[in-house]
Amino acid sequence: MIQDRRQARVSRRKLPAGAVAAPALTALATPAIAQGVLKGTKLTVLAGQWFVPETNAMLDQLAADLGRDTGMEIRIERFAGDELMTKTAAVIGSGRGADLAVGVEFDTYIYAAKLTDVTDLADEIGRTYGGWLDSAKAASVVGGRWKSLPIGQAPAAWNWRTDMFRAAGMNTFPDTFAGLLDAAKKLHAKGTPIGMTLGKASGDGRSTNYPVLWAFGGKEFEADGKTVAINSPGTLAAVEWYKEIYQSFIPGTTAWLDPDNNQAFLASKISATVNVNTIYLASRAAAATDPARKNIVDNMEHGQWPSGPAGRFACYNVNVWLPFASSPNKAGQREFLKAWYSRAFLPKWTKIGQSYFIPQLAGFDTEDVWPSDPKLKIFRELNKLNRLPGYAGPPSPAAAEAVNKFILVDMFAKACTGQLTPRDAVAWAEKEYQQIVRRRTRT
Amino acid sequence: MRLPGPRRNTSRSSAAAPVPETAGVSTSAPTGATARSPLPSRGWAVRRSFLTDVIDNERALGYLLVAPVVILLLALVAYPFFVAVGYALTDRTLADPGVFIGLENFELLWDSQIYRQTLRNTFIFTAGSVTIRLVLGVGLALLLNESFRFRRAVRAAILLPWIVPTVLGTMAWLWMFNPNFSVLNYILVQSGLMSQGFNWLTNPDLALFSVLLVNAWRGVPFMAIVVLAGLQAIPQDLYDASSIDGAGKFQRFRYVTLPLVMPVMLTALVLSIIWTFSDFGIVYGLTRGGPMNATHVLATLSYQTGLASGNIGEGAAVSLTMLPVLLVLIIWQLRRIRRSTAM
Repeated sequence: MIQDRRQARVSRRKLPAGAVAAPALTALATPAIAQGVLKGTKLTVLAGQWFVPETNAMLDQLAADLGRDTGMEIRIERFAGDELMTKTAAVIGSGRGADLAVGVEFDTYIYAAKLTDVTDLADEIGRTYGGWLDSAKAASVVGGRWKSLPIGQAPAAWNWRTDMFRAAGMNTFPDTFAGLLDAAKKLHAKGTPIGMTLGKASGDGRSTNYPVLWAFGGKEFEADGKTVAINSPGTLAAVEWYKEIYQSFIPGTTAWLDPDNNQAFLASKISATVNVNTIYLASRAAAATDPARKNIVDNMEHGQWPSGPAGRFACYNVNVWLPFASSPNKAGQREFLKAWYSRAFLPKWTKIGQSYFIPQLAGFDTEDVWPSDPKLKIFRELNKLNRLPGYAGPPSPAAAEAVNKFILVDMFAKACTGQLTPRDAVAWAEKEYQQIVRRRTRT
Repeated sequence: MRLPGPRRNTSRSSAAAPVPETAGVSTSAPTGATARSPLPSRGWAVRRSFLTDVIDNERALGYLLVAPVVILLLALVAYPFFVAVGYALTDRTLADPGVFIGLENFELLWDSQIYRQTLRNTFIFTAGSVTIRLVLGVGLALLLNESFRFRRAVRAAILLPWIVPTVLGTMAWLWMFNPNFSVLNYILVQSGLMSQGFNWLTNPDLALFSVLLVNAWRGVPFMAIVVLAGLQAIPQDLYDASSIDGAGKFQRFRYVTLPLVMPVMLTALVLSIIWTFSDFGIVYGLTRGGPMNATHVLATLSYQTGLASGNIGEGAAVSLTMLPVLLVLIIWQLRRIRRSTAM
């Protein structure tokens, strides 16, 4: 049904576009596109702002180069934060306004019916770069077909202050959850507490809290993605661990939004927190002129998540290219994606990105795409760890809703602050999860 | 309310008077006569077109003049409203038009602890903020109505919170309430008043109060300026008369100021309730509804459900729960307006 309607819309849109759009559509089947075909067509790409400015500049440059080579008119439209999401929703709803957008893994699932099947492209890219990592497949494959192409993931690490840890008698970052709890107590006693984001921070809230659940063997769903599995001994153990370590946190973490842990770390108010490498990158950029920032750079390291009873896990934000099925310029869409994943572009873009966003391609492990800075070295390892929300199910709309509603974050927060007992907090979360699923499995 | 009536009449007749006079000065008497009844002039009278028919027909002309407003209201208010009602009865998502499910969205909402908490928050948020707006707004208006040096400058400055874009104002407050770097706490601690300040946004109860306070801060100027306008419309002779009758300061406020300023104050009050009830920016900017949903209001929950999670149907249902409350207020307000214009 949806398929039919979409095709009807495309053919209707073909008419005003005239002679130019028609060959572009038929050219979809042919692999090689002659230059002349794209000449005069338009391509609108929606994007946000990545933290490392050079990566944004490279996107602009790619658009300019491709436009020159093909004669296609490419426009990059940038939006800040939530605005990009709203704009993407508008394109999906109206079927016009853009051909491609930067999105997140959940978008692939939510919009699957309205995205172009790019399985052949994904296979080709996989072959070129030694295969996709699991987190890439989880983010982009819906029902066996690739509905988006992974751009990369932003590994979150434990940012920790070597000087403060040393002052508390520790030279390395703890490797177990028991060790982390012990370290937190020692650091708190020294007046340099740690802090984990327990507030409605869309990035840090997720990367900080999901790994704790998994490390203790907890999970949100069964593999079918529909059966709620949150109420388990593993989850309860995770909540109890959290409740204990919370006593050694800096006050205020339940109100932390995304910038708050960065600010606290930069002000030397905390000795450790979970964050992507932006604290470090920003400090390094300012270190030459700002002695306080230089002090941070000299005395910080990135560590990986400790290992819990069930293993070592991490949860990173993922970006993907969403190819809108409503696009009247499918050939242009394809050409743009090919250029993005070309050997001439992607490795360079990855290297210049300083491991902030890393493409989930297995072959990159042995390629020259890693920053030379020794303090960023660990990100090569961290890149292999990502697990997406919704586990053991896929990052489905239900999993996305749980992330957006901060159910897991609030479960921990309610127990930490004593609003609910650990057992009641888990029961509360279970009820909210069941509601989310009930809504989705309506007949 | 009876006072302005006759005054308006006199002003209308006095405004009408100069017209023939000036006409008479510049031209001869006959033109002066046509000026008094401009429509049936010679040329027009001969070919009475459809247009002149319409213009002559008061009823038709009335509809014609109202039409633009009606069309605008239908397109910008009625249409989106009915679309939203339609959405609320479906399980529509961003990617899928969904099917009709009756009131199931509302049933699901009522089952959700987050929704019930949000509903409670919204009422506390509105009642608290509007009370502060009312008390401070009226107080400020009374002060501003007194004469003092720099009165004009102060009156202009009072409007600032209202003029500053919500986002900017909210950012400033976010700094003041920051969990780790609160300026307010710094002052409290440095001045020795407290040992460690308040958990403005961390403590669930205090967080709701904090967002309510910022909302009130933003709304007080509007209340103050509207009430001030009402105060200035009160004729001085009423005060003089009541003074002669021996009324004290409080009695003058109670029996002259309050009754006369009441209509305009109630209007401002209703508008404030409506705006506060549906406020989004302040809560979203300060807390995103946290900690632990302690500050979620219907507008932020609707955004989170409808747009962020893509459940358009359910999101529409969340925002439609504002309707009964707003409807009662609007009907009450409209009836009040009709009653006062009928007088």
